Amino acid sequence: MIELRNVSKFYQTKHNRNYVLNNVTFTIPSGVNVGILGRNGAGKSTLLRMLGGIDFPNQGIISSPNSFSWPMGLAGGFQGSMTGRQNVKFVCRIYGKSDYEINQAILSVKDFSELGDYFDMPIKTYSSGMRSRLSFGLSLFFNFDYLIIDETLSVGDKNFQEKSKKALRKKIETCNILLVSHSMPILKELCDVGIVIHKGKIHYCDTIEDAIQRYNNINK
Amino acid sequence: MLKRSAFTIFKSVVIALFLREVQTRFGSRRLGYFWALFDAMFLVLIFAGLKSVLSKHSMHGIDYPVFISVSFLAFFLWKKIVSSSIGAFSANSALFAYKQVKPFDTIFTRVLLEIFVSIMATLVFIAIGLYFQFNLHVQNFNMLILAILWLILFGFSIGLMSAVFSHYYETFGKMVKIILTPLLFISAIMYTVDSLPPIAREIILYNPLVHFMEMIHGYYFITLDTRYVDYEYIFYWTIIPLYIGLYFYVKGERGILST
Repeated sequence: MIELRNVSKFYQTKHNRNYVLNNVTFTIPSGVNVGILGRNGAGKSTLLRMLGGIDFPNQGIISSPNSFSWPMGLAGGFQGSMTGRQNVKFVCRIYGKSDYEINQAILSVKDFSELGDYFDMPIKTYSSGMRSRLSFGLSLFFNFDYLIIDETLSVGDKNFQEKSKKALRKKIETCNILLVSHSMPILKELCDVGIVIHKGKIHYCDTIEDAIQRYNNINK
Repeated sequence: MLKRSAFTIFKSVVIALFLREVQTRFGSRRLGYFWALFDAMFLVLIFAGLKSVLSKHSMHGIDYPVFISVSFLAFFLWKKIVSSSIGAFSANSALFAYKQVKPFDTIFTRVLLEIFVSIMATLVFIAIGLYFQFNLHVQNFNMLILAILWLILFGFSIGLMSAVFSHYYETFGKMVKIILTPLLFISAIMYTVDSLPPIAREIILYNPLVHFMEMIHGYYFITLDTRYVDYEYIFYWTIIPLYIGLYFYVKGERGILST
């Protein structure tokens, strides 16, 4: 369960405040997979970052008894000079894993991400697809209550997309996802409910179809 | 997932960051460790060598190379702590994507790393000193260690304050780094305060590092003492930047995280 109470988040521009969330209050019930829709710059990624605990609202409270993964996006989360292997070790260590578990993680991530020799190359040499494969493969190793996924499922070739969807479907049996995507088929396939962010407000929809409908209306 | 205490998380983050810093600093090859040590020792060797050959200085009962090595090791420990703290946030900002990693941890880790490298360099110097049969005798070992710990704390507070300020004004960090190098000449490193004329003595004692150097010299060498050290003065120099640094850090942590 995730509860937002009177949450406001704005970015200061030169002349005024640009609100991405304006006094928003709502609750996401337990046990549902959430698709998040909105236009570019509407605040989807900001919301995910706030849920992931690395960004903070200017006002209000976000509370949840659950654990969240790091936001898996196309951009951050990796230090360019570290290799894929070093990064896996680093993340395992900050989650307090033992040496045995770290070795397990390295094996499974290396296998899943299909990086081959690039696993031991600095991440700055990776393509964005390779980065998200690494990030996604690594997150599967942990048992979070919520996986936070920002657009990463649409990268990679067809083969890898199928593989990650399959892995995700299996993972969903034990956890839930918060998914930002512009691909309606993926949202329909994986999510139960949807929220649409538009002009600083959040609209919660009980079914993902309603959310997609609403999103399409915004775009008209 | 299991809930862990704040301290357990802090500990595992510092270990992870430390190993990461070691890897990026030293590289994955074994020669990297040599370079890291060499980097720490290079200037000391040059200055100590030049100074002890050129200078007609002689200090009663002190081997001049030992004097200068002790000063340089202490000075560079302090300088490296300050300068690497300033870069800590920006060098690790990508890792703030993991909520366990706080900006404070990155500074703390870098200070630990500098201490670690410094200990290694000191061991090498001790080995060299023993080989050439210099007089390495320490007057008061316990007080010497305390003085060095205080120096580290002083470096940490200046480093933390500079790091937080340079988050708001980028030039601040650059300015501090510019000041660091000339400090080498006005911090009683190659000479003692006692050897200066009275007027210079008075001026130079406004520099807090001079007090630390005098303190370290005074407790290391039997023939020197700590009569010029104003403990109250350096206490304020330690505690005030630490307070300011922590205050603005707590206020600005979220801002630092989300950049």
